[in-house]
Amino acid sequence: MLKPDQKSKVTLEDLLRLKRVELPSPEFWVNFEKELRQKQLTALVQKRHWWHQLPVLINRRIYIPAGAAAIMAFSLVTIRYSVPTQVGQMPKIAPRVVAEDSAVEMLPATVVVESVSSRTGYQEGTDVRASARVPEVLPANLAAVPALSLPREVEVAVARPLVAALSRLEQPESDLMESALGNRLSVPARIQPASVSKSEVASMTPASTGKYQLIARYAERSLSPAPTAPAVVRERLARRLGDDLGDSISRIGVVGSRVSLKF
Amino acid sequence: MNLSKVFTRTAITTPERQLEADADLVVVRQVQAGDVASFDRLIVKYRERVFGVIYNLVANREDAADLSQDTFIKAFQAINRFQGGCSFFTWLYKIAVNTTLSHLRKNRMRSFFSLEKLSEEGGNAQIIDQLTDKRGADRDTYLRELQEKLNEALQKLSIPHRTVITLFEIDGLSHSEIAEVMACSEGTVRSRLHYAKQFLQGELGKYLNS
Repeated sequence: MLKPDQKSKVTLEDLLRLKRVELPSPEFWVNFEKELRQKQLTALVQKRHWWHQLPVLINRRIYIPAGAAAIMAFSLVTIRYSVPTQVGQMPKIAPRVVAEDSAVEMLPATVVVESVSSRTGYQEGTDVRASARVPEVLPANLAAVPALSLPREVEVAVARPLVAALSRLEQPESDLMESALGNRLSVPARIQPASVSKSEVASMTPASTGKYQLIARYAERSLSPAPTAPAVVRERLARRLGDDLGDSISRIGVVGSRVSLKF
Repeated sequence: MNLSKVFTRTAITTPERQLEADADLVVVRQVQAGDVASFDRLIVKYRERVFGVIYNLVANREDAADLSQDTFIKAFQAINRFQGGCSFFTWLYKIAVNTTLSHLRKNRMRSFFSLEKLSEEGGNAQIIDQLTDKRGADRDTYLRELQEKLNEALQKLSIPHRTVITLFEIDGLSHSEIAEVMACSEGTVRSRLHYAKQFLQGELGKYLNS
């Protein structure tokens, strides 16, 4: 049996040297050579995949032109998307419509800020006095909006949504309601809004005003936090409703057992 | 051409190694020029050393043979990429070690150990005599047991530590050559070597009387 203590002066290095003498027999090398030949032949006929060539390509230093091309492409893309457009040169501050009529200011300001900021990324907080071509039908206080103190291109860009918003004020009530309640309507309703003309509204009987009341109630329910547009709608609807109602009542006449209506 | 100027990256420690590297480079250039048969000379020259490194890492004769063959095939396939930045044998060792480490990682759970017979030819008998003064059957039994214990202790080491101690103590590579082969710093090599030696002394303490 093994008796380690019987040995004299054996170090770890001596012990590890034992591994050096662990050698295979000469027959092993004959077999080794034969197998190696077979493997070499197999490797020669075996089709190599493209990724095996990658180190060769890297070794040939194609990465220098390839890297240069990649940098060029990246630079071009960066320049392409970073060239500031004329609108983009504007300070990133959103315009705020200044108008004397608070009702007018509320609705278009929201729309304008949304539309302009969605396109140019503006922030709210700066007064921009739009010099949009205000339609003649607008009230005098709206037409008196001062001119922009910005370049003409910027004026056009800012004024476009303003004009669109202001012109909405002159839309029929049905369109106004649709614009205000559009988000709350179902998709088909938004796609095909009911087109009610002024004459149709005027021809409504007092009983049909219940529809307006329902709409007004619906608008009162605050589904989203602090909706500003429904307040405008309510105000305008109430104003128009009062006019319609007073007008309708004055046209009703009772003669004996007959009720007459004036149109 | 002064071949010694080619080896700038690896510090070739001894003049013998330098001469060997120069001679290898001449053969490699012949192979690169299309003289494929010259590669056989390199195989014959290095097959035992490559097998020895791999065998000491995997402790399995069959796996060591397969991996040695794979090493030579890879070296042959990549011979055109050899630029002479290091000596051929360092480059070949690098392929052998990487192939073996990859094999060991894939077959971490599998461990079949087989021991080669100790060859007492030439200077080997002197090494064995130093380890034991027994004769006859006792000597063989003792050496066999020592071999097994040594293998067990080596296999308990982590792969990087085992590689470092194998390359340094068994194959006789320098710290810088091991660092080149293992793609790490010389400090890392020294640190691993120190730890591996401490571990082996703990494991094989009863067979040592240093």
